Amino acid sequence: MHIMEGFLPHPWWEIWFVVSLPFIAYGVSRIGRMARERRETLPLLAVAGAFIFVLSSLKLPSVTGSCSHPTGTGIGAILFGPWITSVLSTIVLLYQALFLAHGGLSTLGANVFSMGIAGPVVGYLVYRASQRFNLYLAVFLAAALADLATYIVTSLQLALAFPAADGGVLLSLKAFAAVFAITQVPLAGIEGVISALMFKYILQARSEVLLRLNVISKPDLVKLQEGAT
Amino acid sequence: MHRLLDDYAHENGLRDVSPKLKLAIGAFSIIACIASPTPAVPLAVSTCLSAAVIALARIPWRMYIGLTAIPLSFALLSATVVALLSPGEPLMSIGALRLSHEGLWLGVLLVSRTIGGASSLFFIALTTPMSEIFAVLRSMGAPEALVELSMLIYRYIFVLLEEAMMVHSAQEMRMGYSSVRRSISSFAMLASVLFIRAWERGEKLMLAMDSRCYNGMMPLGECNALRTHHLVVSVIYILSITALLLVVIRGGSA
Repeated sequence: MHIMEGFLPHPWWEIWFVVSLPFIAYGVSRIGRMARERRETLPLLAVAGAFIFVLSSLKLPSVTGSCSHPTGTGIGAILFGPWITSVLSTIVLLYQALFLAHGGLSTLGANVFSMGIAGPVVGYLVYRASQRFNLYLAVFLAAALADLATYIVTSLQLALAFPAADGGVLLSLKAFAAVFAITQVPLAGIEGVISALMFKYILQARSEVLLRLNVISKPDLVKLQEGAT
Repeated sequence: MHRLLDDYAHENGLRDVSPKLKLAIGAFSIIACIASPTPAVPLAVSTCLSAAVIALARIPWRMYIGLTAIPLSFALLSATVVALLSPGEPLMSIGALRLSHEGLWLGVLLVSRTIGGASSLFFIALTTPMSEIFAVLRSMGAPEALVELSMLIYRYIFVLLEEAMMVHSAQEMRMGYSSVRRSISSFAMLASVLFIRAWERGEKLMLAMDSRCYNGMMPLGECNALRTHHLVVSVIYILSITALLLVVIRGGSA
């Protein structure tokens, strides 16, 4: 769900760049610090970014029949935290624009805010809040709500740029949200299910990776593995 | 299944033009499209750059047309919403929906801007290989960690894409995508295998780079230098688009 090149008018495309910049600058400085402290950070983040790109370039099995792609940012935020995911998504969005003709350069700021900042932050908070109750449910909720947050923020960005004649931004927001809901709401559900299943498979095959990323704690992992057997 | 635009960029006819010049033309065109109050400028930009991409860069035109369908589908949908919401004299109405003169005009303008913007984006994407964009970014003083991370991601996109395609084909042969339920399960399996393989690759990559004395900065090749005739053509293009833009802006305010 990206805004295409040329669609956002002046001054909105500049505004979204200004809004996104501090988040990305903070994320970049964090990555720089981590890379200096631990040399293995950069290669691992690189494969993580490539993973998000490849995931988002694969076609999802879709119910509505439209061509839809997962965003991968919900699972990214769970695994790597929101800051790092926002930098990775920025790079991924640039590549999507240049390699797949999805999104654009002038709209990059707006797309970074919706997909790289709002989505991962919502996903991460939801995961941390609901983790205690049920891990798989938490992953499902985090991925699905991250997707929904991205789609609502995109609708809001379009609504702010093009308010309706009578009814203003709110009516406009409703209209955009309604039009995109047809594809985005089922998509969010599917991505949630896929993320939860994916989490389960990773847990079965390489649970130590999740421990190292600090996604789950050791006692939780032991409890889950005991429950499975 | 996948052919990334970058593959075309490596063998296009404008390969020997300075990447800075190509990026400058692309960026200028994008800004000209957004700044234009009428569809004239975006359409002129689109015509010039599409001609350059097809005739000079020798990109297959069928592929190019197919490519424009991606942004166009989004633009048509969103522009319709904008058009129906805009204020002004009602031109026609279907049920509760009212289409005004101004709304129709704004919708047409937005679609044309998207077409112009897409042409500018494709001009950059199809004529400038990513490695040259990295070199330009670095020379412009982008943060080192960001450029380095982008380069490593770029490299690993191709490795992981190949793995994903292999797993996907294997799943497809075993009827992994024969129903919605199975597709979801197969897709999740594909994604988790991809993650695990990516992680293992990352660990190996670190060893490989350490053994080659990686110091946190990968060297990049020299870029093509600026040539006079390229510069002349670009300046003519930029000046004529600017002139058209000025005429249109003056005409709108008068």
